[in-house]
This record gives sequence, structure tokens and C-alpha cells, in this order.
Amino acid sequence: MNPIQDLILTRKVIVCCGAGGVGKTTTSAALGLAAARQVKNVLVVTIDPSKRLAEALGVDRNPERPIPVDTTGLIDQSSTGSLAAWMLDPQLIADRVVERFSGSNRDASTLMNNPIYQNVTAMVAGMQEYTAVQALYEFIHDERYDLIILDTPPSRDALRFLDAPERASAFLDRRIFNLFVPGEGSAIRRMTTKLLEKVMDVSFGPETRRELQQFFQLFGGLLSQLNHNQSEMRRFFGGQDVSFLLVTAPTSAALEETQFFSRRATEELQLHVAGVILNRSLTHCRNWKMPDTDRIERPDPVLSVAISKLRQFSLRERHLMEGHVKLKADLAALSGHGWVYTLPHLGPDASTLDGLSAIADFMTDGEDDKNTK
Amino acid sequence: MYFLNRHTLLISGKGGVGRTAVSAAIGLASSKAKKRTLVLEIAYEEGSQSALGARFGRPDLNEEACPINDFLAIGRLNAKAGHSLFLRTILPSKTLIAAALRSKAVHKFLTAAPSLHEMGIFYHLLTLLQKTRSDGTRQYELIIIDMPATGHTLALTGLPAILLRLIPAGPIARALKEGQSILNNPELCEAWIVTLPEKLPVTEALELVDGLTETDVTVGGMILNRMPPDPFTDDERAALDAYCDAEHFFGQLTLARIRAAKVALSELKNRFDSPVLDLPEVVDTDLVTNPLTAYIGELMGTES
Repeated sequence: MNPIQDLILTRKVIVCCGAGGVGKTTTSAALGLAAARQVKNVLVVTIDPSKRLAEALGVDRNPERPIPVDTTGLIDQSSTGSLAAWMLDPQLIADRVVERFSGSNRDASTLMNNPIYQNVTAMVAGMQEYTAVQALYEFIHDERYDLIILDTPPSRDALRFLDAPERASAFLDRRIFNLFVPGEGSAIRRMTTKLLEKVMDVSFGPETRRELQQFFQLFGGLLSQLNHNQSEMRRFFGGQDVSFLLVTAPTSAALEETQFFSRRATEELQLHVAGVILNRSLTHCRNWKMPDTDRIERPDPVLSVAISKLRQFSLRERHLMEGHVKLKADLAALSGHGWVYTLPHLGPDASTLDGLSAIADFMTDGEDDKNTK
Repeated sequence: MYFLNRHTLLISGKGGVGRTAVSAAIGLASSKAKKRTLVLEIAYEEGSQSALGARFGRPDLNEEACPINDFLAIGRLNAKAGHSLFLRTILPSKTLIAAALRSKAVHKFLTAAPSLHEMGIFYHLLTLLQKTRSDGTRQYELIIIDMPATGHTLALTGLPAILLRLIPAGPIARALKEGQSILNNPELCEAWIVTLPEKLPVTEALELVDGLTETDVTVGGMILNRMPPDPFTDDERAALDAYCDAEHFFGQLTLARIRAAKVALSELKNRFDSPVLDLPEVVDTDLVTNPLTAYIGELMGTES
């Protein structure tokens, strides 16, 4: 069976990882459409899509809740499959957590009015990833969806997302929080707090220091709940319902990235890596011909000159295609039990609904024997 | 003449468009014009390899200024250096400085608390921008910063305004205002956006212009990188289009790319008022022999 089809039919969550600029968001959205065609009720959670793709999916105005994508003409109308999309809004997710888990309504409103808190999602490294996991936590308990596809935040390193809970908790670590809050404790602890207060006072001025302390005090109270959710998600990520996909592009870094990803994800983090999607590949051009003046029926001097000029580009393209074929084989060898699936480069059209539909076709019809133009 | 009449250049753009190559080429061309030049990159993760350093055969670059020739140095901005520079300036006593720099809690706070990571990078940059020689003239006449990809760029250029709302007074506020007086002064600082001659990258570059303008940074122009050469006449192209219509041929992707690049260039020129420079696609990655450097030198008016 086609590996992507298999994945769509058997998983509840598919997480798409990959470096920035490889077409990860487009791939996630197309995967969602392919699954909706297989009678699944799919939610695609995107993070930072290009403006055009966001408009195509209808999420460009930051909706509060997932909204249905207009799939007229893209999915068989008699089918019960559906596609919804949502764009991650880190502040919204953080607000929900505050509202739900604060000790009292008064604490919640004080925290939400605290200027440090109001900027926290924009300012804390890893907060975007942290809230993405939090959002997923809410959606997996939502019975409307059979399958959730999570696009991960863009970053140079495909695994940033997997590390995010740890990185954000460097900040969201209760022990660190406590240091900023004056109170009881050992002599060393009190001295450290005093030193920090001194540093903060001269750096920020006493007023900002007090706001910081208020923030730490109130947000600190939410940490145990947040950390509980995160560790529950950790377990869930390791379970059978969840698969990770690496989306990559044919660059010199692809091999190294895949190797690193497979090792980190499977060996260290014990996650199920289903396979690698090699995007923007030329492997589909295998059967193309070399332009040749001998093949012209009638003599045409202009065309002859043009073809001889084209030849250098033709050689280069063929060379690139051969490189991609080899890369695919090397990737397959690296990824062990995983598969490698190639998708062609569709250019700017990829971010329209028709483009997504074309990619979805490629995902389910099989990757071979297709020419693209 | 481009680039040389400013003190600071922010080279921005989305990932993979060639920001580092362009920053390095501008730096090299500027040093050939005998301007004391510093090219900087930003280390978001400690100990990561330096993309900028790799261009100059120094992938382990991890210092403030590593000399390349008499007029050119390259360096790496990092949060930790900024933090310790900052603590040294603000803390009243040497004992306190030593205690703060030693303290794990202070270190964790600085790396993890809201915005302080970016603030460290910002402060490190500020000290380099303000560095002078013994005669009071600027240590570097031109500082070129290979900015991180779009989102991080805006986080950094927008940092002063956001933080000043939170921290209106004190030494951090002072540093932020000094930074603003350089980065938001169009006489001193310009951002240049590197992009590719394709539809989506052009659209995204125009969005970045809006983003930078919102953070009060002046965009000096756009650099359309990797413009494919077009050896064909109009007649030849028409003949090839007809030829490729019936069957798939190797080379047709390049034809399509040449056409798309021309459309992208003219669209960019229509929708953007400041200069648009197109740089030819080069295969050679050696900076010194690379035609890019000579080409940028020509654009600067230092080579003919």
C-alpha cells in the first residue's frame, strides 16, 4: 500500500517536522486534504503559514476556533470527510490556560493585565512550540476530529519542536520562578534572591522588577498544571496513534538532517518516525528527453540555435535529476524501516487550493510514472 | 553608489535566499574600497557552526572580531557576551559583578526570561556600533549584519519599542534608546532585503518591507539574488516553447524559471519604490574569486 495512504488511515495525529523553507506547511495542508478525501474528519493546525496559503485555507484572520475549509470541487460532495484548519495563536492558548487554571478569577485578571505576561508569548523562546503542544492537547480530546495534522514552527533545526517543552521549561521551571519571588527558604536561597533583586533593580528599575515578580508569582502557580499537560503529551507523542514525518528538500543538508532527525527522534525520544517526504524533487523527470536538433522534422535555423543554447541547461537539469534520484536512495538507506516519498516542485501554485489538490493527488496516486510540467 | 554611505546595513530576508553570501560579498567589496568594515552574524545557539565564518574558512568563528584583511573583520554576536558587557556597566561594585557573572541563577534568568536573550544580542551589537579608536573616530566605518530569517529579524528590530513599553527607565531603557538612535536613523542605518526572482519570495519580501517599516527601520532597497542569465532571443524562446509543448524535455524547467524571473523582477520594480539590484546566479562559492564580490563592487562604484 502507498505509505502515505496507510499513515492517513491508521493514525490520529501526524506531526510534520522540517527546517524552514522546505514547504512543510503546504505539505501538511495537502496531507490534510488527502486524508479528508479518505473520509476522515481532519484538522490541520498550521503555524505561521505564508499569507497566500493562509488565505487559501481561510485562516488569515486568526480565527479563535478551527474553521471549515471550503472543499467544493476538491472532495467528493457525497463523502463524509471534512477538512478544517486553524492557525496557532500562542497568546490565545496562553490566555485559555490562565483562565482555566488560575487559583481565582482575581488572579487570572491580575495576570492578564500584567505587562510582562501580555508580551510573554512573543518574547519567550520556545513559547510558540510550547503553546502548539498545549493546543494539540485540547484538540486530541475533541471528538469532531479523527485526524489532526500538526505543522511545527519554522526553524533551522527540524527537531526544535521536540525539544521545545524542555527549552520553554528552562524558563517555566518552578525552581527558577521561586528565585524571583521573595519568601522563605535557606540562607543561600535568600541570598540568591537578594542578588537577583539587586541586578533586576539596577537593570529595570524597581517598578518593572515588581511587575516581573508579580508575573513570576502568578504564572508560577500555573506551572504544575502546564507541566502535567506537557508530560501527558510526551507520553501521547510516544504512543501508537502518533507518527512523525520529516519534510525535507533536495539540498546538501538533507542527508545530514535526516540522519540527525531519525536518530534523535527514534533512539533518544522514542517517537515513531513514519518516513521522509522529499519535497520539490526532480525524480519525476526521469523519463524526460534531451533536446536534440536531429529530432526536428523541418530545418529551422532559429530553433537549432536555441536548442544548442538550451543544451547546457538541459545537461544541468538532467544532472540535478540524477542527484535527486541518488539522494532518494541514500535517504532510504539512512532511514532504516522508514520510507522516502518524493513530491514534485509545483512553484507558486502550491499555495492555492488547486495546488494543494494536485499535491494531495501525488500523495495518494503514487509517486512514480508521473510527469510534471 | 550603494551601501558605502551608511554606517550600518541590516541584510535581511527569508531563509535560503543567500543573505550570508550577500553580506560577505558586500563586506569584501567594502574592504577593497579601504573602508574599515565589520561583518556580523548572530549566534542564536551557543556553539553552533558559523555560516558566515565558513565563507571565510573559519567555521568555528566565535569571537567579536576576527580579522580577514587590513580592512575587514568578521564577528559573531551572542547573548552571553552582551549580558556580561551589560552587567559590567550597570553593577556598582566589582564584587557584585563577579558574583552576578558567577551565579547560575542570574545566568538562567538572563537566558530564559522574556526577551533578555534578544536584549543580550542587541547590547552586544550596540557596544560594537559605538566602538571608537583612540582618536575618537569609529572603529568600524561600515558594519554589515547578516540578520536572522524574517521572524527573528522583526523580533530584533521591534525589540526596543516593545521593551521600552515594559521598561521605561533605567540602564536597559537607555541602551535601547541609544540603539534606536542608530537603527532608526535612515542617515546611519538601512535594511536591505535579499530575495529570489520568483513569485512567492517577492511577495514575502514586500511583506518584510512593511514589517521593517513598522519597526521604524528604513529599507534601502532589495537585492534580487540568483537572477538566471537569459541567453535566448525572443524568437528562440518562442521556437523552444513550441518545441517543448509536445513532449517533456530537460531544460524546460530552466526556460520556465527564466521567464518567471523576468516577471518577478518587473513586478518588484512596479510595486517597490526604492532601488532593486539584481545579482547574477553564480556557481562559484569562493568569495575572493566569486564574481558576486566584483559585481557588488561595481554597484558600490568602487570598481569599474
